[in-house]
Amino acid sequence: MRLFRVSNASLYTPRPVGMLITYIVLIFWTVVVLFPLYWMFVTSFKLPIQVDSGPFYIPFVDFQPSLHAWQYILFGDLANDTRRQYLNTVVVATTSTILVMLIGSAAAYGLARFHYRPRLGMIVAFILCVLLTVVLAILRVPVQFGILIGVALFVIAMLTIVKRFHRSLGNNDIAFWMVSQRVLPPVAVVIPIYIMFQQLKLLDTWPALIITYVAANLPIVVWLMRDYFLTIPIELEECAAIDGASRYRTFWSIVLPLAVPGLVATFLFVLVFAWNEYLFALFLTNANAQTLPVSIAAQNATRGPQWWYMSVLVLIMILPVIIMAILLERYMAKGLLVGAVKG
Amino acid sequence: MKRKLALSKLALSILAAFGVAVLMLAACAAPAAQPPVVQTVVVQQTVAVPQTVAVPQTVAVPQTVVAQQTVVVQPTAAALPYAGQTVNIITFTGPQIAEPLQRRAPDFEKLTGAHVNVVTVPFADLYQKVLTDASTGTNSYDAWVFDPQWMGDFVNAGFVEDLTDKVKNDKDLQWDDVAPFFRDFSATYNGKVYAIPLDGDFHMLYYRSDLLEKDGLKPPETWDDYLTIAAKYNGQDLNGDGQPDYGSCLFKKKAAQSYWTITDFAASMIQSQGTGQGAFFNTDNMQPLVNNDAFKKALQLYKETGKYGPPDELNLDVGNTRGLFTSGRCALSIDWGDIGSLAIDPATSKVQDKVGAAILPGSKEVLDWSTGKLVPCDAKTCPYAINGVNHAPFAAYGGWSGAVNANSKVKDAAYAFISYMSQPAQSNVDVTIGKTGFNPYRTSQFLNREEWVKAGMSPKAASNYLGAIEDSLNSPNMVLDLRIPQNQYYQQVVLDQAVSQYLAGELTEEQTMKQIEDAWNAKTDELGRDKQLAAYKASLGVQR
Amino acid sequence: MDVAKTTSVAQVQVVPRRARTDQFSTASFILPAVLIILFLSIFPLLVSLYVSMSRLQFARGGVELNFVGLANYAKLLVGIDQTRFLGKFGTPNIFGWLVLGLVALGLAYWIVQYIRTTRVTAIGLAGRLILAVFAMSLALLTVLTLADGGRPGTLWVTLFYVYVGIAVQYALGLLLAYLCAQHIPGRRFFRVVFLLPMMITPVGVAYMFRMMVDTSVGPLAPLWVVLGLRDVSWVNNPWTARGAILVSDIWEWTPFMFIVLLAALESLPTEPIEAAVVDGANKWQIFREITLPALLPVSTTLILIRMIEAFKIIDLPNILTSGGPGTATESMTLESYFVWRALDVGGSAAVAYLLLFVVTMVATAYGVLVRRRVEVEY
Repeated sequence: MRLFRVSNASLYTPRPVGMLITYIVLIFWTVVVLFPLYWMFVTSFKLPIQVDSGPFYIPFVDFQPSLHAWQYILFGDLANDTRRQYLNTVVVATTSTILVMLIGSAAAYGLARFHYRPRLGMIVAFILCVLLTVVLAILRVPVQFGILIGVALFVIAMLTIVKRFHRSLGNNDIAFWMVSQRVLPPVAVVIPIYIMFQQLKLLDTWPALIITYVAANLPIVVWLMRDYFLTIPIELEECAAIDGASRYRTFWSIVLPLAVPGLVATFLFVLVFAWNEYLFALFLTNANAQTLPVSIAAQNATRGPQWWYMSVLVLIMILPVIIMAILLERYMAKGLLVGAVKG
Repeated sequence: MKRKLALSKLALSILAAFGVAVLMLAACAAPAAQPPVVQTVVVQQTVAVPQTVAVPQTVAVPQTVVAQQTVVVQPTAAALPYAGQTVNIITFTGPQIAEPLQRRAPDFEKLTGAHVNVVTVPFADLYQKVLTDASTGTNSYDAWVFDPQWMGDFVNAGFVEDLTDKVKNDKDLQWDDVAPFFRDFSATYNGKVYAIPLDGDFHMLYYRSDLLEKDGLKPPETWDDYLTIAAKYNGQDLNGDGQPDYGSCLFKKKAAQSYWTITDFAASMIQSQGTGQGAFFNTDNMQPLVNNDAFKKALQLYKETGKYGPPDELNLDVGNTRGLFTSGRCALSIDWGDIGSLAIDPATSKVQDKVGAAILPGSKEVLDWSTGKLVPCDAKTCPYAINGVNHAPFAAYGGWSGAVNANSKVKDAAYAFISYMSQPAQSNVDVTIGKTGFNPYRTSQFLNREEWVKAGMSPKAASNYLGAIEDSLNSPNMVLDLRIPQNQYYQQVVLDQAVSQYLAGELTEEQTMKQIEDAWNAKTDELGRDKQLAAYKASLGVQR
Repeated sequence: MDVAKTTSVAQVQVVPRRARTDQFSTASFILPAVLIILFLSIFPLLVSLYVSMSRLQFARGGVELNFVGLANYAKLLVGIDQTRFLGKFGTPNIFGWLVLGLVALGLAYWIVQYIRTTRVTAIGLAGRLILAVFAMSLALLTVLTLADGGRPGTLWVTLFYVYVGIAVQYALGLLLAYLCAQHIPGRRFFRVVFLLPMMITPVGVAYMFRMMVDTSVGPLAPLWVVLGLRDVSWVNNPWTARGAILVSDIWEWTPFMFIVLLAALESLPTEPIEAAVVDGANKWQIFREITLPALLPVSTTLILIRMIEAFKIIDLPNILTSGGPGTATESMTLESYFVWRALDVGGSAAVAYLLLFVVTMVATAYGVLVRRRVEVEY
């Protein structure tokens, strides 16, 4: 019985003509991908006058390279800021990604294996209670009281009114709702979120960004991992259940190890999203927790974009991610939405 | 029974989760950004405890300028008035503006004991951050490097501290040394001082002095002259690299700085009776001054410069045009003070000593406000004309100034730092260094050529550059940038978009002017015409 | 929503329930995610909704929001901002009317066909009618704004970016994935390299492309001169400007499609293909009859995810052209951002909510039309 799909099945090895065409296309696209990056690399060694005077392509041949940009960013005036921002980016991105993987995978597993039937009534009651809490907060009632009142009302509603409404939603609705969270552009919600964290006194701290990124990236993890979990045969888990293992045990010890490829690929995706996020980082941080994307955008100052500094920052930003991609690449082939393919 | 238990189980679990979440958040709410710890120290109102020593300085120009220099006596521990206080000041990521603040912060700390923390954010988002911080009551910043245009919104909302008294009692600041325009208009609102200038922002004309000299031409005095000269040099190779270059390079990119340039063209036709007349609205009824022959001519002139400029001029912002000019590819350009200092640095320029600066071109015709038509310049219509030409140098953006957050807990220390940065001892050095981004705004700065020569300008270039600054700053007809509530909407959204559409050929002149007029009027009515009129008049008013 | 009804019970396999504690344990899997998303989304959503119906003003001590009902929306749809949002309407020629007629007929046919099926529900019919109206208005908008004297607004430009962008990204990603799925030396190298564009922060990509497409000092400048285009710039023409943005967008996001499709291709079972080869099918036939249908479920999910992200495009038009020339390259999110920057938070939220509405419509239409055809197994 085939328990796993071994993924090294490629279609077949092409004939020489096919090989030639293949390589032409692939190498063409490689050049297309790498050339802008090369240009950035070269720009990081240019003086302003060399950038403004027209394209110079090769250091030492076309123009005399200068280390001024690297010096400024890594050792000079901006060095302290760069170091701090780098640390912030690393901490915030990895922490939020690990958290979101844990929470998201659990949710994805739940959506793949269990029948959820949240009652519409309960959801409506919940929304109304949150609305009430918000209104109370606007009316200057302390946040904690507002929350307690909201919770109390919700419990009461649950025990009384909600019972009357039987219509419920299903897994698909939950999944669709989750993905719909990504629709609204951040610019519309950034101020309310700012106010929320301000009330909680979490502005300019790591937790603010971590929580925001977890919430923002959960839908992606849930969608990607759910499809993956659906491909893992149920028999193993049934055996485990018969043997008396709890759901958690089954999930942790049996399903997750099987899903490592998918987990790794999703991890990389989400890490990239968190690593590169700009708008929330701009608004929820000041000096202490500022991350690198903000620094890149900041290089567009009143003097115009400082291309040389920007290039340095972009390069040092993508370096760790590239390294991680190289290391994790072997897992990615087997991961990602394998399950939706019927076989 | 079973169902009820099941429900309450679920409800209980949700409740538990809620509670845990709340507890967690409350417990973990570790404020990393501590509000400044304020130690109440009884201090005098004035700054530090210096002794003022008058040091006469003779400079290498036929003018003897006596500059006051503040010599600070070595302070003892007891004389550190702000010991233990932290001042958080926010500005945009430098090195411009931020670098001198960061460089001088330790000196200030040694003098006064206050620790200055310079926070930087991207330039495009500075306003939003300051506004969000102030309007939500977060107040993480004690001082802002402030654009005087923001006064329109900030003062009315009570965010900015009134500095009039502090300035009056601050001898070291040498308030009278600040050029009248910045002192009486930029820094004040409704007669009160709200910001201390650190930098003088206004547009000037830049030209290739070597080219004009060779051909015996004078720098353009009117915009028609500008076009003539631009046409002459367009297509020639101006920097010896074998490629044809451009007659005029202007920043026309949308949502960048283009909405100031159009005012450069229009202002000298609209304002001729002095700064207090204003160039944007009619001071009787708040009607926009954008639907008339002057503005129409300005649009046409603006568009025509495109014939003599780079093909992608519509996508060039000020960084691009500066680069083009300093690499020798433009005969004429407009800029703030930056080209002057960028031109002398070989890392950024190929035109060292080939750059001249002059007051913005003007016009020989001005607008009759009642008829909307252009009338020729004479003694009555253009009292400040030079050679029959009405000049109206435009103080675009206003010049970075330091302002104090009215809700700060360390207002005195914050004010002291801003004052320190503006005092001649510091400021006069900083304005000569290109990378500080500080352009001259004090009379002593452009009279003292010596510092500039020391910084690398040739004496001739220094005279020319500073002379142009002096002409602009001394002009009684300088144009104040718009400072009414929500001026960003008027300028950055409406004006900028309409002009951009006009340049792209989407609208005709009439359509453009009408679009601006309608949108401006709609906004004015929405905010209250009387309120806006009062604010506009307040922004133009001056009291000594 | 019909997607919910296609739940095929057999696939969501339920391990047999034991006790009541079971309900807790199953709930606990999904509860943290649901709670986190709820807390951080409900509040901002509701506040934004309120803000979209108000206007901001400064007053003593802070800001005040004055409720104005639907005025912000009216401004966008029928008021001052209509030409920016919807576009300027021209007069269509005969071809335009023809297209409109065809679309109307097609939609009518679709609705009639539904009515004639046996399982007609009120909600189903109402939903389809709404979708039809929406599709018709989009078609109308397209024809009117692309006609003589017309000019598309941000709504249309955003849809243009999304559809053309995704189409090209998908095709390109599929091509690259197909080629990389073959047994050729160096596969792994290509796989890593092709992943790179996605890993750069979008703001960085935008600035990078601003350098690249600069026709006077950028790296492609000599090419431009050789082609005789020295005095021509892509920034002046609306379509070339949009093209520049599309090129950058495609460069940046093709890896997303590529990596997912590659994984899917590599995990396809080989038996059907081997059987087909034995039967004498050629490469193209195998691809069209076997591979493509097998990839359809993956593709639909992939396109849905990418579509939702693509609607929010902002960095590229902002940094490359600031939405210019005029308003030719401005997307809805960019319009929302510009307006927000000028303190019109109400107008900005209104644009954002209209975007939400459009995306919901499109995603629903997508779900109804496409995914029903595909045997999606949940």
